[in-house]
Amino acid sequence: MRAPRRDGSSGLGEYVVNVTSMDYAPGVANIEGKATAITVLTPVRRGGPILLWIVFWAGRNLAFTLKKLEVLSFIHYARWTLIKRFPDGDEGDGQRPNHTYLFFESNFNGTWDQYIDAFSEVVALRMKAIWGTSIGFPGPLPVEPFKRYIRSNEYVANHYWSAYPGHTTTEIVSAGRVEAALAEFRRTSADLDPDAFSAAYASFLTKVQRDL
Amino acid sequence: MNGRHDICGQAHSLTVLTPIREGHESALARYLNALDGGRESPLSRVARTHFARWVVLGDVVYEGKGARDHLKRGQLLFTSNFDGTDLDSYLESLRTGLGPAADEIWSHCSGYPGSDGAAAFAAYMRKHHIESSLFFAAYGEKTVDEVKTSLSVRRDVINFAMNSQAMAPAALQAAFARAFPG
Repeated sequence: MRAPRRDGSSGLGEYVVNVTSMDYAPGVANIEGKATAITVLTPVRRGGPILLWIVFWAGRNLAFTLKKLEVLSFIHYARWTLIKRFPDGDEGDGQRPNHTYLFFESNFNGTWDQYIDAFSEVVALRMKAIWGTSIGFPGPLPVEPFKRYIRSNEYVANHYWSAYPGHTTTEIVSAGRVEAALAEFRRTSADLDPDAFSAAYASFLTKVQRDL
Repeated sequence: MNGRHDICGQAHSLTVLTPIREGHESALARYLNALDGGRESPLSRVARTHFARWVVLGDVVYEGKGARDHLKRGQLLFTSNFDGTDLDSYLESLRTGLGPAADEIWSHCSGYPGSDGAAAFAAYMRKHHIESSLFFAAYGEKTVDEVKTSLSVRRDVINFAMNSQAMAPAALQAAFARAFPG
């Protein structure tokens, strides 16, 4: 039962799209305004969890490893985790499949293709470090096999929600800078005469114009 | 407390994987698919939530040559990216914010105790919570309210800049004081 099929159907009817085929187009449930959800689960080869433990330790403790994700300025939130057991409804620890599974989710703005392109090109080594232990992973480059791999291991969200669907990551980060600059300008311009205020305002606008 | 790897700045990740009752996968997926989005989503009533999703997992994918895995039970994945340091208070927001929708959803899952009791609901979510190994937040120091405030301030600054382009210094200063009082 529930054997996923390569044609993208799950055997559970039209409402469960649990495995995607290579030509599957992401469902609208993955999109909320400008935000897109990606949900990927990949089986990890034996020995992989130990390597991933090191990779994730580095991600948590070496600032530069995640800094690069900030360069990909369209990711709001992302997470990785390892799943060794799946709850089966019985008393006990649940089902332990043959493989540990690597779970990845991201909340980003832009298209799926842009996202995978950027991941593949900008953080290729990190992608290799994270998914290199996943069975069937073709490598981040060239990008087409990588996309096919993600597609075939991706799940479509049945419901997806964002608190600010109309805004991109860049807008939010920029807005934070504008807010801070405005607070600073208000503090430093409170006692200025009109001409000095006008000059200070011009400087403020110059400072924040790339964030507007 | 949430797991320590579930934290980035003040933001937290929550990952909950619950077993779907035998034969309930389609009914659950159908319910979730039919939920209204945006402001009408039940998640809009759950304070402190930045992004959240439900995903019905029928089975795992396996592309290798060896013995393939099949899950004994379908799984309901719920993930959230939320504010604050206290998982229990967020789970309570989830329970009260979702209201009847919580039962409509998780009653398709084995062992779900219902949403009448705060402690039992939280215990069920905690039991099925999986800690993140790595969690990234681009603006993890910002709460939902702070994000919205920042966006509003940015919008006000843009509007003011556009409307004040030809103002003389004294008029500019007065207009600024009106636009950004306090």
